[in-house]
Amino acid sequence: MKKDVPYHHGARHEDTNPLLSWWAGGIGIGLVLIVAVGLVQPIGVSAQYVVLDGVLLHAVLPDVASRSPYLAKAAQGWTLATYEFFFVLGIPLGALAATVATARFRTRVVPIEWRRRFGSNPGRRLVWSFVGGFLLLFGARFGGGCTSGHMISGISQLAISSFVFSVALFISGIVTARVLYRDGGSRC
Amino acid sequence: MLTLVLGLVLGAAFGALLKLSGASSHTKIVNALRLKDLTIMKLILMAIGVGLMGVYLLDLFGLANMKVKELYLLGLILAGVIFGVGFALTGYCPGTALAACAEGKPDAWVTVLGGLCGALVFAFMFPGVEESLLTVGRYGPVTLPGLIGIHALWIAVPLGIVCIWLAMRLPEPGGAQ
Repeated sequence: MKKDVPYHHGARHEDTNPLLSWWAGGIGIGLVLIVAVGLVQPIGVSAQYVVLDGVLLHAVLPDVASRSPYLAKAAQGWTLATYEFFFVLGIPLGALAATVATARFRTRVVPIEWRRRFGSNPGRRLVWSFVGGFLLLFGARFGGGCTSGHMISGISQLAISSFVFSVALFISGIVTARVLYRDGGSRC
Repeated sequence: MLTLVLGLVLGAAFGALLKLSGASSHTKIVNALRLKDLTIMKLILMAIGVGLMGVYLLDLFGLANMKVKELYLLGLILAGVIFGVGFALTGYCPGTALAACAEGKPDAWVTVLGGLCGALVFAFMFPGVEESLLTVGRYGPVTLPGLIGIHALWIAVPLGIVCIWLAMRLPEPGGAQ
């Protein structure tokens, strides 16, 4: 499966042709949300980054951790044994199982679209991935949710806050991607 | 204990779906934001369309455990803008980064590490941020039907159908079947 298929983005087959079609994946995610709302609560991911931060910090520097009311509230009891954390823990496990089951384990440091624009220097990609991740979670906690919690769960509950956050996110993401990946060399 | 298992199972299903539908691929996300491959938009719209109708159907029987997030206009817009920049930079969101981690992608590991730092910094900025930015345009957990004052089903079902219709209408990526 190493061969490039004729595809105008020039990306590899695995990246551009997912196994599940958008509608099957969308229905599946919608169903996960419905089951979660029916049994426990809507799905969410980003708060658990704070929980992990809190629990780790509390293990090393309990005084510092306790001083933050935000950490203390998010990581109640300084424990990871919660439904919410286990949901987030399940994500990489499920993805790993799916990767192994479909034999599509293929790693790289620099993704193709990044390489096309910024070259194949892995250090550069990793530094900007860190910065991106920082902004991602800073923004998500600031806004009170991420793509799962705000966009999928939030809009499914018709929350105005989620409409506002999602519109701002997409406008910003689209503008940034335009600037970042300036489509000079692309032919489409 | 049972809830932990339930969490793990639902999370695993979510992670597997993200992976199998290409949502954890940098290429897919970045090309979605560049408006070159709308598969991810179609996926999200479909999920929202199904979720919207399902959640309010549950609600009709009093079975939906909802959790509506608070509206604070200025803060949310700033937060969305910051998130969007990060999203375009890494090509992952907080959930898909975790799925990509499991696929052995080092840039996703670093994204998660950056995310833990970003979340920590926000946590220590919190009391200050709450007093200043989060109070501008603060309205509490409002929903669209609550705002208009009609039964939620009258919005949920048509909007759900519109989402699914839009998901079907948006073009498939060029060349692919």
